[in-house]
Amino acid sequence: MGVILGYVATLGVYFFIYNIFAFGLNIQFGYTGILDFTVITFMAIGGYMAGVASLGPEQPGSDIYYVLGLSLPWPVALVIGAAAAGAAGYVLGLIALRRLRSDYLAIVTLAAGSIVYGVIGNANGLFDGFEGLVGVPQPLNGVLKLSPNSYTLFFLGLAGVIMAICWFVAERIYRSPLGRAMRAIREDLDVAEAYGKRTFRVRMTAMVIGCVFVGIGGVLTIWFVTALAPAGWGTSETFVVWAALIVGGRGNNLGAVVGSFLVAVLFNEATRFLPAIPGHPSLISEIRNMCIGGLVILTLWFRPQGAVAERKARFFEIPLRPGALDEAAKSVPAMATSGS
Amino acid sequence: MSLFLLTLGFGIVTSAVLALAAVGLSLQFGVTNYVNFAYGAFLAFGMFFTYTAQSALHMPIVLAGVFGTLATGVVALVVDTLILEPFVRRGTSGFFLLIVTFGLSLILLNLVQAIWGVGFDQYNVAAGSPITLGPFSFTAAQIGVVAVAVLTMVAVHLLLTRTTLGRAMRAMSDNAPLARATGIDTRSVTRWTWFISGCLAGLGGITLALNTVEFQAFTGNTFLFVIFAAVILGGIGQIYGAMIGAVIIGLVVNFAGMVISSAYDLDAAFAVLVLVLLLRPQGIIPTLGKA
Repeated sequence: MGVILGYVATLGVYFFIYNIFAFGLNIQFGYTGILDFTVITFMAIGGYMAGVASLGPEQPGSDIYYVLGLSLPWPVALVIGAAAAGAAGYVLGLIALRRLRSDYLAIVTLAAGSIVYGVIGNANGLFDGFEGLVGVPQPLNGVLKLSPNSYTLFFLGLAGVIMAICWFVAERIYRSPLGRAMRAIREDLDVAEAYGKRTFRVRMTAMVIGCVFVGIGGVLTIWFVTALAPAGWGTSETFVVWAALIVGGRGNNLGAVVGSFLVAVLFNEATRFLPAIPGHPSLISEIRNMCIGGLVILTLWFRPQGAVAERKARFFEIPLRPGALDEAAKSVPAMATSGS
Repeated sequence: MSLFLLTLGFGIVTSAVLALAAVGLSLQFGVTNYVNFAYGAFLAFGMFFTYTAQSALHMPIVLAGVFGTLATGVVALVVDTLILEPFVRRGTSGFFLLIVTFGLSLILLNLVQAIWGVGFDQYNVAAGSPITLGPFSFTAAQIGVVAVAVLTMVAVHLLLTRTTLGRAMRAMSDNAPLARATGIDTRSVTRWTWFISGCLAGLGGITLALNTVEFQAFTGNTFLFVIFAAVILGGIGQIYGAMIGAVIIGLVVNFAGMVISSAYDLDAAFAVLVLVLLLRPQGIIPTLGKA
């Protein structure tokens, strides 16, 4: 019983974490149309920075090398991780969000991800290279003194609360004037600019907020696993987040949640516990990656809007002043009915 | 001084590899007007088809290379015909085509790894004693790589300037709807383009494998953004630009490896990519309306 409960709770934590990743990518891609092909890099930056902020100073002779080691309390580490991911997103945005074709943006994000991967892997003094950080303290674990299973349940609650806050914030952004500007830019950047929207600023805001979200997910990841190494955040992990958003429904946070459940939990995490095929230790992960790629392509072919489609705004949904809708309906009856 | 010349020599070989791969990517980019993120997987197919032809079918390396090149062209043709072409015909925006090719790269790379395994392989090529050419010193394989690249560049030049297919490709690259309106069979030109692009990717993968000696499924994909850097530096869809870009990036990568550290040599390509995007996003040879 305890084992099953722990397993379900573990999947639940991953579900919440992937929700946060998918909200972040949704703000970037779903709201604003930014092709960020290196989502997972910001998860790593957030996780690593929170890790070195909460770990103690590095021990001489332990063969684990890292910067900082500030022994800070966990809420401060969370803020540091999220801020570091946001700052990294800002720097990438300075290069990638200039008015270039969207292919360039995708290429730059992909290339930057591969560079960051190489640098973090090769620079042993930064976050212990390809070995990665280990033994990151978990929030309140020393205070609560719970058994591992009970702590997993506690962590599930913590991740759930953080996920709910992220969901709420993402929804508020969607309905705000900023969110409308983002969607206008997604539909047509030139038109948005012609209407006086500061497209670079709005796109940069979306980029940074999205990266902060993904960074928060990264902090939760390193807390839960207590370790993080480059092997855990390759390009295929980025694609899992993309698959979650595309399959679930982009531009739509409920879709992001549905997609995270279908792809990241049912498909990606649950199949990790399948026994390896003898003689082919990596075959299951290869088949899983191929299936996730195929799932995205099939979704884009058969149901491009995803499982839960984004609700499109109607033409007269936002009356400019009281009674404007009725007047408009009277003067142009055809438009009011064909607005959808 | 000798270190400088030695690095220059290696730079020339890297440039040759890069030129093959960059021209293939740029050709397809120019004609179809979207980037193929699965290109790194095509490199892997070229490497491993050749490997199988040599180790299992006991072909000599040159014949195995020809087989690997053509087989990769067929893979590219199949991928385009079965998956990408239907999306393009339906009018899917470039945005989603990029995601489709991104997904394809995941599928194809994992397919290569599932078939040929995770370990490192290498071709059975006799190392031989280094051959001295003027101030440079090359292995026989490296001379072969440079010779293949030069011959291929000449062939691509002749294809684009002297053949009907090449002229049709240039016409589509300039303006696809207009090319269709003048009676060019754009569907068959697109398919030929994918086949040729795949062949060049295969050749790029084989030469990359000869140059790095040891290779595995993801070797070509790691190299992908260096290829992108050369293509963007040259200007999107500009074949001659891609050749110039390849030479510049190839030399920069090797000299950065000499000056800084070989662990970070690819980062130099990224630095060039960033500088180009900030200073001259249209590339050395600009294409109107494509920056």
